[in-house]
Amino acid sequence: MVGVAESIANLEKRIDQLRAEVRRAAMSGDRARARALRAELREAERAWDDAIAEVERKAAPVEVEPVTPKQAGPLLPIREQVHQALTLLSVPAAPKLIVAVHEAFFAGQMLGTRLTSLRRDEERSFRSAPYSRPYYICSALTADLLSAARGLLAISTWPMSRRIIGPLSPRVDFLTAAIAVAEHISRIPDPAPAATRLLWRFAANIPGAAEGFDAMEPASVARAAEAELAVHLDADTSLREQAGQRARSQLSDVEQLFGSRLRAVPGTSGGAREAE
Amino acid sequence: MNETEARLARIRGAVPARDHNARTIAALCSNPGCARRAVLDAAGVDKQRLAAYIDFPARFGQSQFAITRGNAFEAQVKANGCAELLRLLREKLGLPIPEVSYDDLELVGGNDSREVRYARSRSLLARAAASGAGAGTLFDHPLLRLEIGGRKAYLEPDLIAFQLHDRFHVVEIKSFAVIDGQADAGKVAAAVTQAAVYVLALRDLVTELGYAPEKVAHDVVLVCPENFSNRPTAVLVDVRKQLTVLKRQLSRLARIDELLAALPAELTFDLEVDDAGVPTRPAASVVEALRTVQARYTPECLDTCEMAYFCRDEARDDTAALGRTVRDELGGIESVTNVLGLANGSLAPAAEQVEAAQLLQMAARLREESLMAMLRGVAL
Ligand code: SF4
Repeated sequence: MVGVAESIANLEKRIDQLRAEVRRAAMSGDRARARALRAELREAERAWDDAIAEVERKAAPVEVEPVTPKQAGPLLPIREQVHQALTLLSVPAAPKLIVAVHEAFFAGQMLGTRLTSLRRDEERSFRSAPYSRPYYICSALTADLLSAARGLLAISTWPMSRRIIGPLSPRVDFLTAAIAVAEHISRIPDPAPAATRLLWRFAANIPGAAEGFDAMEPASVARAAEAELAVHLDADTSLREQAGQRARSQLSDVEQLFGSRLRAVPGTSGGAREAE
Repeated sequence: MNETEARLARIRGAVPARDHNARTIAALCSNPGCARRAVLDAAGVDKQRLAAYIDFPARFGQSQFAITRGNAFEAQVKANGCAELLRLLREKLGLPIPEVSYDDLELVGGNDSREVRYARSRSLLARAAASGAGAGTLFDHPLLRLEIGGRKAYLEPDLIAFQLHDRFHVVEIKSFAVIDGQADAGKVAAAVTQAAVYVLALRDLVTELGYAPEKVAHDVVLVCPENFSNRPTAVLVDVRKQLTVLKRQLSRLARIDELLAALPAELTFDLEVDDAGVPTRPAASVVEALRTVQARYTPECLDTCEMAYFCRDEARDDTAALGRTVRDELGGIESVTNVLGLANGSLAPAAEQVEAAQLLQMAARLREESLMAMLRGVAL
């Protein structure tokens, strides 16, 4: 993000310079050059627009619908809201899913935009005073390079293997989350429409989970998810455990939570270098 | 850097080369006879910027809105371990339930240099190819390479390669809608050509690894929103025809040296930007440089090349600007002025133009007569 901010600053500088040049060319009567520079200026402004749009997109991977606060109770700090949602799901999850879970089951508004900086804030806090909080919202780690898995949040107190993402883990975690959501819904008396919609998003992509939205039963969604889960679980678990052991023995404390950076890992090609 | 590369670097000037992607490569192939485009593209010149600078800005390109929409749809299809994509592949292609493995090749532990990314894509795909089913099903954002005009260009792909029954398929996710099984033909054609570029690059990779090119299927999977919903659907499209065209055009581009040999040695499209990034080169001088490289304007350029408005303006008097069939019907005469002159007899035909001149004069007479007939009809 630093890189983007920097290039935005450069673009702004360039836009200013170009404006000055256009003005000079226009005043000196050099129309061809003024025109050419104008075109440059438009291009630079377009690039600036794009860069800003990109920043916005990155800063808000979640489209936050303007939700009317359910019961305007005291708003939990964002990290606690995320902790709640992740605990319910029991697996690492992307901000979008975390927001959906929050909306489905918890009171108050969750600001999706604030999720982006959360992981960084948590890392900063951990670095300055390690283990001073009961838990941290941290990264999931890729199984091969033990680096932060893109776009996933996890809880530091989970067993390491649960935070490892191997090739089968995205599907395994999807099914596990489906079961968790289904079970949670079956326990509450009057699930909100957002909760049923969330369950349907899982059910629609699990074979045999439900005939259709109206015919959906939490128990059969959970059963179908379990059936598919059984197919992948063993292979996934053993890989996650192996990688988890490697992470515990090879990574520093902060890396265990937030991912290793550019460390050469034996057995992977690509020649990632030690840096920083 | 060999001689050709040094030459191309000089032509491009002191700016980084534009990246190629499947879109630019597909467009590259749409006017293979144009030396101007071949040189600009081989050198990696930013044509959009160049065209705007000489006051003929391109009027195409994707709107920010379309890009955002495309990204959102892609993210949706890939969300939650590619849940929606897996459903489609299972329903439409019979992907077995156990095959769900997903590798994200975009980031390599924070090291995103292209060499590292390419090496990783290559090694993971090699492993998958060697061990067959079960050793990898979905590969997101593999970085591929394709040789363009004698240079290896990295392709920044937004695709998933997907292995089924020991074969790789290219999955292309596009956000235009398929309504009742029909989609905008132009958009489909563009998407399919782009997918063919990926098939070709992926085939290069598997051949390097010692497999037959057919290890990569010529059927690509196109994923689009269905009807007016956001629910994705998938279709298989055969891209063999596009592959043939693509290969032929790329082999022409490979002979860029021959083109360069005919051009002035000092040719450059450098805009001579100063420290603040403000170009200082007079636009007229850029135009002059452009004119030294021959173009071959056709109306299709308007959809595929950033230089189109400049070249159209330049070709105003050129019958080819009216399209190939029109030029042929005008007896192959190249300039509009000459066509008119020959037709009304004010221009004496050169020896090889006699036949064409007779035809044109006859056409002019016919036109005259039918116009008169029409006028008489009105008078009556
Ligand atoms: S617009 Fe000009 S440069 Fe581009 S392909 Fe057409 S003739 Fe060639």
